[in-house]
Amino acid sequence: MFGHRKNQAERQLIAGRVCSLLEIPQGQKFRILEIKGGPGLHRRLLSLGFHRGDLVALDGEALLGGPILVKNLNSDTRIALGRGIARKILVEPVDDNER
Amino acid sequence: MNDRVPVVVFIGQPNCGKSTLFNAIAGFRAQTSNFPGTTVCHAHSEVVWKEKVYSIVDLPGTYSLIPQEPQEKVALTHIFQEKPDLIVNVIDASLLCRSLELTVELLELEYPMVVVLNMMDLAEKKGMKIEAEALEKKLGVPVIKTVATRGQGTRDLMDWVERVLAERRMPRHLRYSGEVESRIKQLTEILPSDFPVIANPRFTAIRAIEAEMLAVDNFFLENNPEFKRGLDRIRREISALREAPAYEVLAAERHHLALKIFEDCCRVSHARVSGLEKLDNFIMHPVLGLFLLLLIFAGMFYLIFRVGSPLEAWLLKPWEALRLGIQERFEQNLLAGLLVGLVQGVGGGVAIVFPYFIPLLLMMGFLEDIGYLARAGFLMDAFMHRLGLHGKSVPLFILGFGCNVPAIMATRILESRRDRIITALLIPFIPCAARTTIILALVAFLLGPWWALGFYLLNLVVVAVLSSILTRIFKYSSPGLILEIPSLKWPSLKNILQKTYLNLKEFVRFAWPILIAGSVLLSLLSYLNFDRLVNTVLSPFVSGMLGLPPGLGLTLVFGFLRKELSLLMMFQALGVGYEQLLSVISRAQLLTFVTFVNFFIPCLSTLAILWKELGRRIALVSVGLNLSVAVLVSWLVRLAFAIF
Repeated sequence: MFGHRKNQAERQLIAGRVCSLLEIPQGQKFRILEIKGGPGLHRRLLSLGFHRGDLVALDGEALLGGPILVKNLNSDTRIALGRGIARKILVEPVDDNER
Repeated sequence: MNDRVPVVVFIGQPNCGKSTLFNAIAGFRAQTSNFPGTTVCHAHSEVVWKEKVYSIVDLPGTYSLIPQEPQEKVALTHIFQEKPDLIVNVIDASLLCRSLELTVELLELEYPMVVVLNMMDLAEKKGMKIEAEALEKKLGVPVIKTVATRGQGTRDLMDWVERVLAERRMPRHLRYSGEVESRIKQLTEILPSDFPVIANPRFTAIRAIEAEMLAVDNFFLENNPEFKRGLDRIRREISALREAPAYEVLAAERHHLALKIFEDCCRVSHARVSGLEKLDNFIMHPVLGLFLLLLIFAGMFYLIFRVGSPLEAWLLKPWEALRLGIQERFEQNLLAGLLVGLVQGVGGGVAIVFPYFIPLLLMMGFLEDIGYLARAGFLMDAFMHRLGLHGKSVPLFILGFGCNVPAIMATRILESRRDRIITALLIPFIPCAARTTIILALVAFLLGPWWALGFYLLNLVVVAVLSSILTRIFKYSSPGLILEIPSLKWPSLKNILQKTYLNLKEFVRFAWPILIAGSVLLSLLSYLNFDRLVNTVLSPFVSGMLGLPPGLGLTLVFGFLRKELSLLMMFQALGVGYEQLLSVISRAQLLTFVTFVNFFIPCLSTLAILWKELGRRIALVSVGLNLSVAVLVSWLVRLAFAIF
């Protein structure tokens, strides 16, 4: 459904490893496992269409510790997240063919 | 029969094209009472369709019915308290899946409703095939496809509005999974009789379970201990079902309903990467993107200057001739003075304001519509953090270049009150179109474009320094950035022209008369020698401290009404025309004057909006802040010229 395909060699599998959105490489698919932090943040993300279980990918980064750009592959929306917030969102890698 | 005008409310998520649709329909007929920004928070228009009058309200965008931002609260208060007769749920069809979550929530209100799939062209480009009939069946409300930018489907929509209203068709809410639904039912059964019900008991119960703070206060809960116990128990039970907080369980229920509907009604084939997406990669590039940002703004002002200054020179000629003609023909009497004032007011509006004002509005409209503002926020976030704010303020500052008033209104998108206050205090320091006019018309036109550029830099430095100071006073780490980056969209020329036209109309209706009246008033005051009095009183400050000709005292005071007024009145007060200005005052004086006018207290409408949005205290703080900065910086400018 969504444009970019990485070739096999470029694709490094970080099997089963849970990490925060801050640590993921660009372009690969990840699944949101948990959103830490208070209900305020959680509700905001929910209303923007970011739920647990959604597939996301890193789409870009700004300079100098600026925000990251996260694409939600389920709803095809993009949001900019400050690093403090990105750190609170835990994800795990998923296989490219899974949806 | 009931003669009341039915209220139709447009509601949808931000950027779904609600307002474009609203404009497309409000353009149909009759009295459009569009108060851009200043008086009301939502646009409202009476529309006549097939000889019936409808009152249509365009609410600010909201992601969900649980308010997160102050502007979402506006939308919700309207929905909850002023029970509309019909809800028009506008959806960005290209974001159908997410948008349906709000639709599911709206259906729970069980108000008559119509769903509009807007931006169908975009959805098709993305390879989405949406079956409207299937969607209608699932949702139980009419679904209409539109492309608001081209006015497609608007007639269809109005036909359905008429029909649904006539039939009083009430939708039914969609059912959550049984175990959740049964708990919601339990809560509706124990709702105390005096509980403020919104829409219907089920919706109220859902709200009560979800809300962090209830719609009713704790006082109510304390007086109804039984209800409070029940509510807590049901929250716990729902939470236990999915091992998540109760509010997330309910949100997930809606998410799944939306997802199911989306999958049943929409097929997606592979989409091509569009040219805009490639452009987007460039715009959002961490390094190139910043370059582009600089280039866009530098280019924009350069272009405005290149277009504006020859136009200005050309437009000024006839008015100058007229002014000299009057002065030659008549002696120094009251009539001549008033006539000169009139000519300068009218001519100033035409020749000084329009050449710069219109291009700036057009370009701002373009940047807004293509979706650049949010991207600037993303790129600038890191810099803004150094200044104690975050990237979400950037789009507001950029808006401020157009006019400070809507920019201050739009501070509602900031979640924290602290960020909102600081941003609103800083916006009056952003040179709006009026001040850009002064800067370009005086500094760039008379001293050269480099001086104007330098002036802009000075201005930005002042904003940055102030921001650092203010954020240090109101200490508190601002919450991190969460900002949706909408997809880039080719702006429609019609839309931009319409926006520019509305702003221009506003200028002609409100600002221009003030300019003319101010000009004439100054003539009158100077005929009565009243200006001397004011100038004498102000002269220790005006000429003592700032080193300006004492005659400019009164003009500075008038700048409060409209910033351009100071400009027009300056010529009048000094008794010279445009081109000879530098023969009576020096460069240093000119720059000091422009600096002072630029930072001087917010103009009347900005002050009014500050007062309304953030209260009297903040408005007064803003006046004090601007006044002190104006005095300080213009004095520094004078000092700098004295030294170098």
